[in-house]
Amino acid sequence: MSGTAPEAGRPGASILPYSRVVGQDDLKLALELNHVAPGIGGVLMAGQRGTAKSTLVRAFALMAHGELPVTLPINATDDRVVGGWRLDALMRGETLEQPGLLEEAHDKGILYVDEVNLLDDHVVNIILDVVSTGQLSVQREGLAAARQLDFGLVGTMNPEEGGLRPQLLDRFGLMVTAADLDTDARHRMIRTVLAFEEARARDTSEWLTDAERDNAAVRDRLRAARERFAQVDVPDPVLRLCAEAAGRLDAVGQRGEIVATHAARALAALEGAERVEPRHLLRVLPPALRHRRPEAAHGGTFDWGPDDHARIKDLFDAG
Amino acid sequence: MTTSTPALEPPDDARRLERAFRCAALDPALSGVLLFDLEPRLIRPVAGLFTAILGGPAGPPAARIPLGAATRDEDLWVTSRLERHRDGIAFTVAPGPLVAGAGPPPLAVVPDLAHLSVAGMRAAVQLIGADVVCVEQPGLRLVDRPRARWLAVCRSEDSGRVTPHLLDRFALRLAVPGLRTVPEGLSSDSAAPLGAFAATTEEAVTRVQEILGPGAGPRRSLALARLARALATLGGQREVTAAHCEDAARLIGLRVTEPAPSADRPDSGEPGPLPAPLPHPGDTGRRGGRSNRRRRPEEEQPLLASGPAEGVGSAPGAPLGMPYPEDDAVALREFMPLRNPWQRRSGPASARGAVVGTRRAHDLRDLALLRTVREAAVHQRIRGYEDFTVAPVDLHSNLRAPAPERLLTLLLDHTCRGDWDWQDALTPFLQWAYTARAALHVIEVGGADAADELRAESFAARGVLDPRLMTALYRPRGRATPLAHGIEQAARTMRQAFRRQGSALAEAWLVVVTDGRGNVPLRASHTGRLHGPVAARGIEDSLTAAAPIAALDRGRLRVAVVDAARRPYGELPFALAETLGAMVVEGRGDHGS
Repeated sequence: MSGTAPEAGRPGASILPYSRVVGQDDLKLALELNHVAPGIGGVLMAGQRGTAKSTLVRAFALMAHGELPVTLPINATDDRVVGGWRLDALMRGETLEQPGLLEEAHDKGILYVDEVNLLDDHVVNIILDVVSTGQLSVQREGLAAARQLDFGLVGTMNPEEGGLRPQLLDRFGLMVTAADLDTDARHRMIRTVLAFEEARARDTSEWLTDAERDNAAVRDRLRAARERFAQVDVPDPVLRLCAEAAGRLDAVGQRGEIVATHAARALAALEGAERVEPRHLLRVLPPALRHRRPEAAHGGTFDWGPDDHARIKDLFDAG
Repeated sequence: MTTSTPALEPPDDARRLERAFRCAALDPALSGVLLFDLEPRLIRPVAGLFTAILGGPAGPPAARIPLGAATRDEDLWVTSRLERHRDGIAFTVAPGPLVAGAGPPPLAVVPDLAHLSVAGMRAAVQLIGADVVCVEQPGLRLVDRPRARWLAVCRSEDSGRVTPHLLDRFALRLAVPGLRTVPEGLSSDSAAPLGAFAATTEEAVTRVQEILGPGAGPRRSLALARLARALATLGGQREVTAAHCEDAARLIGLRVTEPAPSADRPDSGEPGPLPAPLPHPGDTGRRGGRSNRRRRPEEEQPLLASGPAEGVGSAPGAPLGMPYPEDDAVALREFMPLRNPWQRRSGPASARGAVVGTRRAHDLRDLALLRTVREAAVHQRIRGYEDFTVAPVDLHSNLRAPAPERLLTLLLDHTCRGDWDWQDALTPFLQWAYTARAALHVIEVGGADAADELRAESFAARGVLDPRLMTALYRPRGRATPLAHGIEQAARTMRQAFRRQGSALAEAWLVVVTDGRGNVPLRASHTGRLHGPVAARGIEDSLTAAAPIAALDRGRLRVAVVDAARRPYGELPFALAETLGAMVVEGRGDHGS
């Protein structure tokens, strides 16, 4: 086509560098905490359209792992999800297994589901089975296999298109909502996105070089935090505080407290602290508990407002 | 740069269209073009213009991919071909048309966005303006940058019915209700763009924010900024200026606010591609100083006018010109429109809905034969049988859009309403129709704005979310009451439903809201002429027309008369109900006059 601006060949090259994504601090923090402490079990990002949720997930994966995440698109067929035979080999009369996306996610640690609330029910059922039991059992088309799988779920969703089943909601360790940008941040966002696209269209770009340098700095910070994570102490008073806060906020089940503890520890590791302090816990309580309250399980919103904060404020003031 | 002479210039809308297409061809982030109120006869030539631009002046036009109400996933992502070989049937798998990699970017054409299938909508959400698309289908894994451009058409009044999630993907929106002709050939008034995008300046970003105001979503801001950049790039400019942003706003039908006064505004910098202003219908504002400046001939590009206007909103004189009509649209929308339809099991198994995909089957009902054979072909050599064998695991049946198994027919007599709000009486029936996904047929008599007050009017809809229902429920009352004609139409509707849908129609409701008084004899409705006094003829005809309904399949049809309770003929609804074999529902407690 005439007049087409140059495009980079690699699809990953079209993703805005992580260090250049404007705003969305909560989303970034959740991804970073989950990276430092994979035991958190994943992140669900909810937000209106156009809030850079998908961009952020892909940019983070590129920055942290050097490749795009294992992605489950909404129209993936079930044989691609659980695995099957390679079609081209079958046509030659050979049987070659083709791993499914869930197995790949086990190898990479994360399964990214874009528009997770649009997934067809049978695919949601498969994912729930696997993340609940930790085992993928396939008995189909002459294929008999069972394998232990362990991966975190990272999903994005637009609540305008409907909610998630409570069982699936609970499988996401943290849940964050994308925020609207203020005028100044929006200005910077437009500027940044266009600058990136213009830089990408050139052969060499100082802008991209600077962004990669900053990406490397974030990567180093995350790596150091991962190494430090196991050494970060979690004092008993913080654990009691966590249990008390979860009780006051009517959190359903105990997964919320466990995730909150992991996340607070990861935050402390990111900050270079030697032990978890109440302020670390206070920072991670909203993403750990907002989707584990009764109203969220029954189709309510995921708001976390001043009222919620007020219910636990005295706990942390005393601490 | 050459400029076409005024005599040869295509009309404004055609030029806007061509320019928008060039921008969409240039920048993949502008890949979605949505046209509001395009005349249906122009869809083909407009798509032809777009494909010609995508193909470039030297190459063949880009491929067109039609997408509509019956588009399936199987049509989009994977292309499979069955072939007869010496040793049996074989097939090959290749990327489908939306993600195929060679040649100019293909163009997906959606003639009616409000009726696009779920598979088509989901493909649009995944592809338009996306950084990356992932395809995970049998035999095909693909992670790539989307190349396809999209051209969708939608009526402004339907915009509220389309999910914002989908609408928001279309970066380029143009309302073109006035478009009458489309240029057949490509104009040569665009300079060859540079090898890279024009650089966006701070001034341009500020201007985008000013034009859109603080409430605009991030995608709209980015779309306007990218459009301005595309215009600058197409004009051979190295920098995007505020004037480009104003041109971009006018291109999509936004009015342009006066720029905020700023001492350091680089207004006197390198001049942007300020065009010779094109006349805009109703463009009555004064012209800005910059557009009146003398310009060098090479600056006189045929871009759109830059001139001031006041406030964001529709262009003056063009009430449908707003590129975001969904912001003001009030319409009921399907719940979770991007989810595949649930397969309902309460009614009889039906193979009547439009095929929207395939799925694994456990019996031989409604088999998708090609898909089944293709599945079997894959495993032939492994199975080692001599003959071609279809195993149970190969079976696939059609996945169909839900066909209505329930029907609600509403007969609304507007002349019985007066100051009475019949919403409470009708709500249970409407709720049933919504939860049962029932089809809807509305018959109206006695409306103030009826085309012929002697006749009943009717419309059919897919369900109670149809916006025409709300209009019908609150239509002002007129003078005449052709109740007999309305009942006759209701009887015909029910007969046709039972005949056409046969056993698939599991349940039907006929709800008649009336006071039983009809002052138009059936003959008058048929002939369109009213002769002589009516007396009780209209009422008698109503009862006569109602009699056949009582003889319909009462195992599936239920009838209710909502009593308007108007005196002094309060017994009429009961007489009508008796003839219909209907239950009587109390419409209002207080008896009106």
